[in-house]
This record gives sequence, structure tokens and C-alpha cells, in this order.
Amino acid sequence: MLTKSQAKAFFVFGTAAFSAIFIGLTIDTFQRIPDQTKSQNLTEEVIRGKHLFDTKNCMGCHTIMGEGAYYAPELTKVFERRGEAFIKAMLRDPEAMYPGQRKMTNYKLTEQEINDLTAFLIWVGNMDLNGFPPKPDLIKTASPKADGATSELDAVVKNENRPQIFNQMCVACHQLNGQGGEVGPALDLIGELRDINYLKEWLRNPMSIKPDSKMPKLPLSEEEITELAAYLSTLKKEKVK
Amino acid sequence: MKYQSQKVAYWFFAVCMLLFSLQLVYGFIMGFAHMGLDGLHQWIPFNVARAVHTNLLVMWLLSGFMGAAYYIIPEEADREILSVKWAYVQLIAFVLVGVTAIIGFHFQWWEGRKFLEIPRPLDYLVVVDVLLFIGIIGGTIWKGKRYTTTSLVLFFGLLTAALLYLPGMIPTDHQTHDSYWRWWVVHLWVEGVWELIMGAILSFLLIKLTGVDREVIEKWLYVIVGFTFLSGILGTGHHYYYIGTPRYWLMIGGVFGALEPVAFLGMAIYAIAMAKKGGRNPDNKVAMLWTIGCAVMSFVGAGFLGFAHTLPQVNMYTHGTLVTAMHGHLAFWGAYACLVLGIITYAMPHLTGRKLQDSNANVFAFWVSNIGMVSMTVAFGIAGIAQVYLERKVGLDFLAVQKEIEVHFLGLVLAATLFTLGIIAYVWNFIRFGRPVGKVGG
Repeated sequence: MLTKSQAKAFFVFGTAAFSAIFIGLTIDTFQRIPDQTKSQNLTEEVIRGKHLFDTKNCMGCHTIMGEGAYYAPELTKVFERRGEAFIKAMLRDPEAMYPGQRKMTNYKLTEQEINDLTAFLIWVGNMDLNGFPPKPDLIKTASPKADGATSELDAVVKNENRPQIFNQMCVACHQLNGQGGEVGPALDLIGELRDINYLKEWLRNPMSIKPDSKMPKLPLSEEEITELAAYLSTLKKEKVK
Repeated sequence: MKYQSQKVAYWFFAVCMLLFSLQLVYGFIMGFAHMGLDGLHQWIPFNVARAVHTNLLVMWLLSGFMGAAYYIIPEEADREILSVKWAYVQLIAFVLVGVTAIIGFHFQWWEGRKFLEIPRPLDYLVVVDVLLFIGIIGGTIWKGKRYTTTSLVLFFGLLTAALLYLPGMIPTDHQTHDSYWRWWVVHLWVEGVWELIMGAILSFLLIKLTGVDREVIEKWLYVIVGFTFLSGILGTGHHYYYIGTPRYWLMIGGVFGALEPVAFLGMAIYAIAMAKKGGRNPDNKVAMLWTIGCAVMSFVGAGFLGFAHTLPQVNMYTHGTLVTAMHGHLAFWGAYACLVLGIITYAMPHLTGRKLQDSNANVFAFWVSNIGMVSMTVAFGIAGIAQVYLERKVGLDFLAVQKEIEVHFLGLVLAATLFTLGIIAYVWNFIRFGRPVGKVGG
């Protein structure tokens, strides 16, 4: 039977051995991190953004690289998902961007701070995180193939010919084909209701048409407005089917 | 109480009760915010409530460990504490730093690094305070009449916990480095050296409560803490899957993370076996209840539920979701909260000379808080699994998913109310014990 001194030896030597292995692996890891995280892109701007991310305790609500709290969206791929314009608009005035929703504190950031934070998020988004976050895979498997009918889900997968800005900005609050946020009304039939000129005017400033509209005036260029309005005006019944 | 100076422990335990109660308030703020009731947002936004909730947890547990050490070490070393005056200084400094940090969080004076939000200047004060504590405890053992395994394991646990606070202070501009070192503190605390503290306190409680021979209990203590480090050190790798560190951590973290429950299982079997072996009807049944409860719930919460999402294939989907909150709540409750509540229940009749340990209030506290916490875990689990499925598999928008799972937070708040009833009973019983008396003996 095991004696007390054998048990002690097991504890002491086991701990020493595994600590040594762990320290060795740590040294190796630190040599590999620069490659994997593209440390060469770690600019002054990114570093300022990282510290800003800490001083505002963004992790107290959001997760980044999956770490943080679970109250607000994952930010690792936010640049890919929403694009620079949306991120900046959100940081400028968070309450305007998701009216009536879960609130983010308005930190009254300066333009430079907003640029720094955005640069930081772009840098994190480009790291090699061993496949995290996973791509949602059930949309594809759920799409029926048997009768060859184009389902709504197929349309989502193909994303049709949506302008990129639509996929980044509009879907944050609006749904199309059942995909997107639930803050504003779904846009599936918007082309039936509004023509291209109305939509252009609306996108320039929603409040000029409907003073009590909760939709914010988005940072869109005139080309983007034209592109979006043209696209939205095609969203009619036959398009959905 | 065998030694006058053990009285110090009472005040650490009183701080526990206070900070623990406050922690629950901030938990409710977050629970309601998740339900969409965020009326306090303007004054206490979620990130403040979260930082306060988790830091209060760490503080009251540390206060409990310190109190436990001041209670246990004199008996183990067979002498009075080196300096009672300095022990009180250490307590007051600890409380001042803690309270300053908590108030500071409300004014955004923090570091914004999950679990280590305490701002840097206060970090240094924490280090000084802990050094003082280690000095007092270490000195007491050093000058004591005997060196027991229990006291040495406890001391080694406390010392390494103090040392492992330091990597968290390494300055860095790199998010991956930041995260890497942060887990040295957080993981190597809760899945490493805190388990030494836990093992030692459990060992003390089992020696006192079961009457089993010290040699037998302490032998198994070595085996268990041996397993803790065997799995726990490289098990840190399960935090290094997706933070920009090499791929080999998926293998290392997966294998050793999966072994971590062994130590907790060992702890549970150990406590139950010793209780059976002793067969002595303890004069403090509820302390025994908390001791066994701690051993069992730590296996369920830390061991089993930790295992449930430690494998990289699973963690890929559950990482950064409410599934983590599910595991976190039951793990901390089982392994550390129950432990501290157990040693308090054991020590109070000795400290105060009043035999209220087996009162109905304390029995009620044990069962109701445990049922409440298990229900909370279930609520978090359902919310977490729904979130994983809808967000990570189906690809729904974050806020849309949060709307879907709001109802589970109603369940959570109800379960938390039950839990709180249990804790109120515990605190009330603690107050009924009254202040410690000067009488030595008993």
C-alpha cells in the first residue's frame, strides 16, 4: 500500500515535472505568437486601441477571442461582420444605433480614440485563432435539395447580389429572408412599398421623412445610398420566392 | 478554540458575510439586465456590475481562506499567531483596498481585464497585504511546535497563490500575451493552487469532524493535490485554444483538461470515504454537511461541468457563451464557497462558545442555497445551449438570440431568489452566534 512519503514524492516530483514542461511550452508559445497573430501589424494605433479597450472595460459586456462577459456581441470578427463605417458609427453614438435595445454606454470617444479602437478590432480580426469563431453550419445543411426548388435558405447562403454595405450595416437591425436583426422592420417587401427616390431620401436622413423615426442617420456615401436604394427597390414579391 | 489569537478568524469571516451579501445584489442587477430590465444602466452599467460581482467573489473567498488560515494554523502549529496586532492590520488593509477597488469600479477606475479588474496601484497594495499575511502565517508555522502536512499544504497553497498574482501584472501591449498571463493567475489559482488550500481545509475539517487518523487523511491529501497539479498545470492549455496561440494547445489542453475532474472526483471520494470510515457522530453535523457538500458539488460543478466543455471540439462552440457562466457558477459555489461556509460553520461554535451550528437556520441554509444554485446552473445551461445552437450553429443575430433566451433569465432570477433565501438564513445564523469570546478551550 502507498505510504505517506511515497504520496508526498508523487506530489513533489509530479508538480515539479509538469511545471517545467509548462514553462518550456510557454517559452515556445511566445516565440510563435508573433507569426500567428501578425504582430508586425501591431501599430501605435492598435496598441492605443488595446489599452482603450481595457480602460473602458469593453470585456465587461463583450467577448473578444471568446473572452469576456456574455451581455454583448462577440467582437473578434466584428470588422468582417459589420465593417469599419458601422463600428465607428456605433462607437460615436451607441444609443442611436440600436434604438430601444440593450444599451451600450456612450463613452464620448474622440475621433482618434474611435480610430484606435477600430484599428485594434481590425488587428484582432486578422489573427489566426485556430478556427474560432466557428462559421454557423446549420443553414447549409437545412437547405432542401431534393426537388431543386430554390428555398429562402438557399437565398441566404448565396446572399443574392446584395451590396456588401447591406450585409454589414442594414442586417444589424433589419431582417431579409429571416436573417438579420430584429430591431427594425423586415425588408423583404420594401420594394413594393417604396420607390428608389423615396429610399434614397430615407437613407440620407430618415428623420427628414419621418421625424419620430428611431433609425439613425447612417454614415453612408452618396454612391452607397444609390447602390442600396437601387437594391432595396428590387425587393419585391417575386424576388423573395 | 485552543488559542486566543484564533479569534482573528471571526473578523475575516464577518467580512466574508458582508462581501458575499453584496455580491448577490450585483448578481441580481445582471440577471435583471439580461431579462431586459436595465433601469440601473445609467448608474451601474453591466460592465460595472460584472466587475463588482466577480471581484467581490474573489475577495470574500480570499477573506475566507485567510480567516481559515488564522483559525487552522494555531491549532496545527500548536502556538498562538505570531502577531495578532499585525493580523488585524492586515485585515483592515485588505478591506480598505477591496472597498476602494469596488467603489473605483463605479467610476471606471479599473483595468478591464476579466477577473483582474483591480487597477494597478491597488495591485501593489494587494501584494504588500498578501506578503504580510504570508509572513504572519509562515512565521507562525516556522515557530510552531510541529509541522503538519495540513499546515504545510495550506501554506504552500497560499504562498503560490500570492506568487501567481504577479504574472497578471506583467505589462503588455499584445492582446494574446495579456490573455496568456491572465490565465496564469485565474486558471492556476482556481484549478491549481486554490485546490491546495481547498484540500488542506478539507483535510483539517475531516480530521476534526471524523476522528480518522491524521496520517491516513494527510496521505490522501498528497495524492489528491498531486493529481491536481498533474492535470491542472498543463490543463491551463484549455484557455489557449483560440487566443492566437499555437495549435498544439488544442491537444495538450484537451487531454489534461479532460483529466482535471480526476482531482475533484478524488476529493469527493476522499471526503465521503473518510466520513464513512470515521463513523463518529460529529457534534457539528452541519459542518459535516457543508464539507461533504463542498466535495460533491465541486466535482459536479468544477469537474463534471468543466469536462462538459473542455474538449476543443465542444469548446469551439461554447467558448464565450453562457455555457461558461453555467460552469463557473457551480464550480465556484461547490469548490470554494461551500468550503468557506463549511469552515465558518465548523469554527463559529468554537470561536463564540455558542452551539448554534446545528440550528434549523443553518440546515435550511445548506439545502436551500444548494438547490437554488443547482437550479441557477440549469437555467444558465439551458440559456447557454440555446445560445450556442442559435448563434453558433444557425447563425442568428446576437441580440435576436438574447431575446429568445430572455425567459431563461426569469428562471435564473427565481432560482437566485431561492439561493438568496438560503444565504440570508446562513448570514442570520452567523449573526446569532454573536461576537467571539475570550475563552480558550472547547
